[in-house]
Amino acid sequence: MFESTNQLPLHGIRVLDLSWIIAGPTSTRFLASMGAEVIKVGSARRPDPSTRGPAFQAYNQSKLYASLNISKPEGLELVKHLLSVSDVVIENFAAGVIERLGLGYEIVRGVNPDIIMVASSGTGHYGPHTDYVAYGSLLQHYTGWNSISGYPQREPVPGGLWADPWVGMELAMVTVAALNNRAQTGQGQYVDFSMAEALSACLPEAVLDYQMNDRVKEPMGNRDDWYAPHNVFHCAGSDRWVAIAVTNDEEWASLCRLIERPDLASDTRYADAEGRRRYQDRLGVAITEWTMQHEDHQAMALLQQVGVPAGPSQDILRVFKEEQLAESGYFSRVETRDGIIRDLPGLPWRFDGDRSPILTEAPELGQDNSFVYRELLGLTQEDLERMVADQIIY
Amino acid sequence: MTTDGLLPGVRVLDVGQGISGPYCGKILAQMGAEVIKVEPPDGDSARRMGPFPKNISHPEKSGLFLALNANKYGVTLDLTSPEGADSFRKLAATADIVIENPPPVFLEDLGLGYESLKAINPGIVFSSITPFGNRGPYKDYKATDLVLYHMSGHAHGLLGAVKDPDNDPPIRAGGHQAEFVGGLAAATATMMALYGKRMTGIGGRIDISSFEAMVTQLISGLANSAWGRPAPPRDISKVEEAAIGGMVGAIGGILPCNDGYVAISPREDAQWERWLGVMGNPEWSTDDRYSTRDSRQKNSPSLWKLLSDWSVHYSKHEIASLGQEQRIPCFPVNTVLDLMSDEHLAHREFFVEIQHPAVGVLKYPGSAYKLSNSPLPLAARPAPLLGEHNSEILEGLR
Repeated sequence: MFESTNQLPLHGIRVLDLSWIIAGPTSTRFLASMGAEVIKVGSARRPDPSTRGPAFQAYNQSKLYASLNISKPEGLELVKHLLSVSDVVIENFAAGVIERLGLGYEIVRGVNPDIIMVASSGTGHYGPHTDYVAYGSLLQHYTGWNSISGYPQREPVPGGLWADPWVGMELAMVTVAALNNRAQTGQGQYVDFSMAEALSACLPEAVLDYQMNDRVKEPMGNRDDWYAPHNVFHCAGSDRWVAIAVTNDEEWASLCRLIERPDLASDTRYADAEGRRRYQDRLGVAITEWTMQHEDHQAMALLQQVGVPAGPSQDILRVFKEEQLAESGYFSRVETRDGIIRDLPGLPWRFDGDRSPILTEAPELGQDNSFVYRELLGLTQEDLERMVADQIIY
Repeated sequence: MTTDGLLPGVRVLDVGQGISGPYCGKILAQMGAEVIKVEPPDGDSARRMGPFPKNISHPEKSGLFLALNANKYGVTLDLTSPEGADSFRKLAATADIVIENPPPVFLEDLGLGYESLKAINPGIVFSSITPFGNRGPYKDYKATDLVLYHMSGHAHGLLGAVKDPDNDPPIRAGGHQAEFVGGLAAATATMMALYGKRMTGIGGRIDISSFEAMVTQLISGLANSAWGRPAPPRDISKVEEAAIGGMVGAIGGILPCNDGYVAISPREDAQWERWLGVMGNPEWSTDDRYSTRDSRQKNSPSLWKLLSDWSVHYSKHEIASLGQEQRIPCFPVNTVLDLMSDEHLAHREFFVEIQHPAVGVLKYPGSAYKLSNSPLPLAARPAPLLGEHNSEILEGLR
C-alpha cells in the first residue's frame, strides 16, 4: 500500500461532464476539486446558459473544457471515444434528450461496459410526469418543500436557491458511492436521479406528522414546533437581525441572565419549552428590547459566550466577508484571467494530511481542446483543425 | 453481478446525535453499509424531538428519529465509562468509518478521537461534523438549523424582496434543511475518503462544517461577491432583476388558484408566447408594457394582477397541466398530502413502507436515485429500539 496522504481521493478518475446550468456542474465541481479529471464538453452552438456572469465561475471551477458539437455525427463519434476512456459520465438534460442525441445508457454501456452513468432530471427518467419542464425554483413548490417554508397565512415564498445546489452535492455523493461499488465489484451503473424526489426526501418530519396525526404541516416562519424562543430579533441598524434558538431550559436561564431579566427566568410560566412557546410573542418583545441595543454580530458574540445558539441573518455579501470563512481557510485565493486576485468559494470539508482541494478558475470553452483531442484521443493536428473548421469541435 | 446497495461489507459506527450526523449515517445505511448506531444509555437527543403520535413525547416514537435511523442497527454504550470506551474501541477496530457530530459528545475528549482509533485501526475514516468546523473564531459556537439558515445567506434568498424589510424579517425553510446539508456534505466527503482508502489504504480524519456546507449551497452568490456585485436587495422597490433562484416579475412567480397556488416561470420569450396561449391570448397581451422580458419585469406588479385575476378561476393542478402541456415550466404548490397521493411518485415507488414495533407501518420518503445494478435496501429494517442490538453486536466483541 502507499504511504503518502497527499493524494486527493478521486485521483485517477476521469469524468465526462455533459451537464450544464447548475445542478450537474455543481456535482462535477465537487469531483474535480477532490482530484478527478473532469472534462466538461459544450458547444458554442448552444452555450451553457450559466456562462453568463460570475455564477459560471463558481459552478465550473477546476474543470477542463472542450468544445464539441454533439448534433453532428462526427461529434457523436468523438463523445463515444471520450466515453470509452472515462470512468463516469454525467448529464442533466431534460428526460429523454440524451436518448434522442443517441447517447442513452444502452449505447453508452455498449461503448464502455463498466462506466457509471449519472442522469439527473426534474422528475426522473420514467413515470407519468417524466416530461414535465422544470426549473429548480419551481421544484421547490412541486415537492412540498415550500409548503412548510414561509409565513403562516401568506402566499408561498417565491424562491430561494435550494434545489440545484442540493442536487449538485447529492449527485456527487451518489457518483462516488457508485465508484466505491465499482472498485469492489468491477461493475458500472446507471443512476436515475430525480431532483424533485431529492427535495421531497428532506421532509420526513412533515410526511410522518401527516401519517401520525392527520396534520398537513404549514409554514411557521422562523418558529419551531418544539423550541422557544426561536426567531430572529431586530438589532441596532436598519434591517439587521439576530437569529436566536433556545433549545433547552439551561439556555433559557442563560439568555435571561444576559438580557438582565431575572423576572422572566423565575416566572414558572416560562419554565419549559411548552410555556415559552405559548408566550413567545410576549417574550419576543422582551428579547428585542435587548437586541435593539446591539449590532447583530455583537449580539451573536454575547449570546454565544453564555452558550445560547445565535447568529446574524446575513445577505450574501456579508457572508462573503465573514471573518469565520476567511480564517477557516474556506476560500481559495486565485488570480483570474482578468489579472485580479479574488477569493473563490471552496469546499465544506477539510481532509487531513496534505489533501487540500484543487480550486482553480473556471475554464473557457475550448481551452482544453488540444489536450482532450490530441493527447487523450490521439487526433492529428490536421484532424483537429478540420473538425474545428467543420464546426464539430465547436 | 448485482449487489444489495452500493456499499456491501462496509461497517460504520454512527456516534452522531440529533440530525446532521445521523443523516450522514442514514445515507450510508441506505447505500447498503452496515451502520451501527451508538447511543448513550438515555438515547439520541432526536428521540426527544417530534413529531410524535398525538403529540405525546415517547423515545421510540419520534418521527424524526425513526426517519433518520431506519436501516441501522442500534447499541447503547456509556462512552464515559471504561467498559463502554473499551467496547467502542473493539467495535472501531472492526469498522471502516466513524461518524460524530459534536457537541455534546466529542470522541476526542473521551480518549476515543481519531489518533487513538487510528492506532488500533490504521485505515479508519473519521468524519467529524460540527456547526462551524474545527478552526476559525466561531469554532466553539453552537448553532441550530435556524442559526445556520440565517447566517449563511439562505434566509434572505428564501423570502426574497419585501415591501418593508424592517418589519418583515428573513425566514428559514421548514424542517431541518441546514442540518441535512451538513449531513449530506459529510456523506459526500466520507464517500470520497472511503474511495481514497480503497485506492491507497489510507483513511484519515475529515472535518465538516455545517455552516460551510450551507454557504457552499450559494457559491454563485459568493462568486458574484468576488466579482464585486452587490447582494440582491431586500427592499422590493430596489429590485431590477431577480437573482438566480429568486422569482420576481419576468422570471416567474406564484399565482393564486381556487384551491391553493401554482408557481409559473415562462421566462423565455417563446415560453411567454405559449403561456399567453394558455390564457386564451387576452387583449392586454399585445400591450407594449408586457411585450418584452424587460418590460414585463418593469411592469410586474400590474402584470401579476392581470395573471392572478385569471388564475383564481382554476385549480392549481388544472393550470399546471395546461401549462405543462404547452411545455411551460409550471407546477402546483404541493403540500405533503399532495405528495402522498401523487401518481408520479407512486409509480416510481418513492415512499417506502417500514414496520416498526412501536409505531406500526408508516411510509417514509425514499431516495432520489435508482441504481440499475444495485437496488438500494431502503426498507431493510426499522430504526432500532434503544439498545436493540446490544446482545447481538456487543456480546461477541473481544
